[in-house]
Amino acid sequence: MPEGRPTIRNHIRRLRFESGELSQEELGKRCGVTRHTIMALEAGKYSPSLLLAFRIARAFGTGVEQVFEYGDIGNPGRPVS
Amino acid sequence: MTLWNVDMTDSEKWSVWTLGVIALTTTAYFIFVALRGHGPATISVFALTALVAINKRSFRSVIGPRFDERESEIARKALLTSFRVMWLAVVAGFVITGHIKGWDTTLSLPMWKLAEIFWWLSMLMLAVQAGTTLLLYRRGNNA
Repeated sequence: MPEGRPTIRNHIRRLRFESGELSQEELGKRCGVTRHTIMALEAGKYSPSLLLAFRIARAFGTGVEQVFEYGDIGNPGRPVS
Repeated sequence: MTLWNVDMTDSEKWSVWTLGVIALTTTAYFIFVALRGHGPATISVFALTALVAINKRSFRSVIGPRFDERESEIARKALLTSFRVMWLAVVAGFVITGHIKGWDTTLSLPMWKLAEIFWWLSMLMLAVQAGTTLLLYRRGNNA
């Protein structure tokens, strides 16, 4: 059975909400990127570099694995090894 | 509402502006040819492409938060695509000309025609670069 396309999903929207509705603009400033990039990340249109992933996790005061999740589109619950 | 107030990145604004300039130049070219005929003066129309540089967004900053890693990746992919298309156009031009004129033919063409070919190639590159940039911002650049 063919595997689905690997993808990186994230919980940035939920984490922003839990951080007192932290704006995309503010999160972008903290991570050194534009608001448009945060929007693209939330929409799943962009997979960040490892450096940006760590910066975002640090902005939320949490670990990378709490923000990003590695799976495949065909089978979202299944981690890709 | 002006182009500068729209919620777009600098690169997207540059792309929209550039496509507009190319459309204007192409229209002006065909109007000029229809009115004055195809001759050495035709290439003067291509001076309109200088409008690309008038756009204040044409001097996009290439470092810092206004040009982050996503912007940079999209810009790189768009530039690469434009070079690929230009290369394909050049190869296609040689092959088609070779087949039509014959491979042992000696070509001689006036300098203004050579300059015109150069201008069209430049416009093709700019159009592909701008179009690809807009496409990648809309569709996402994970592909």
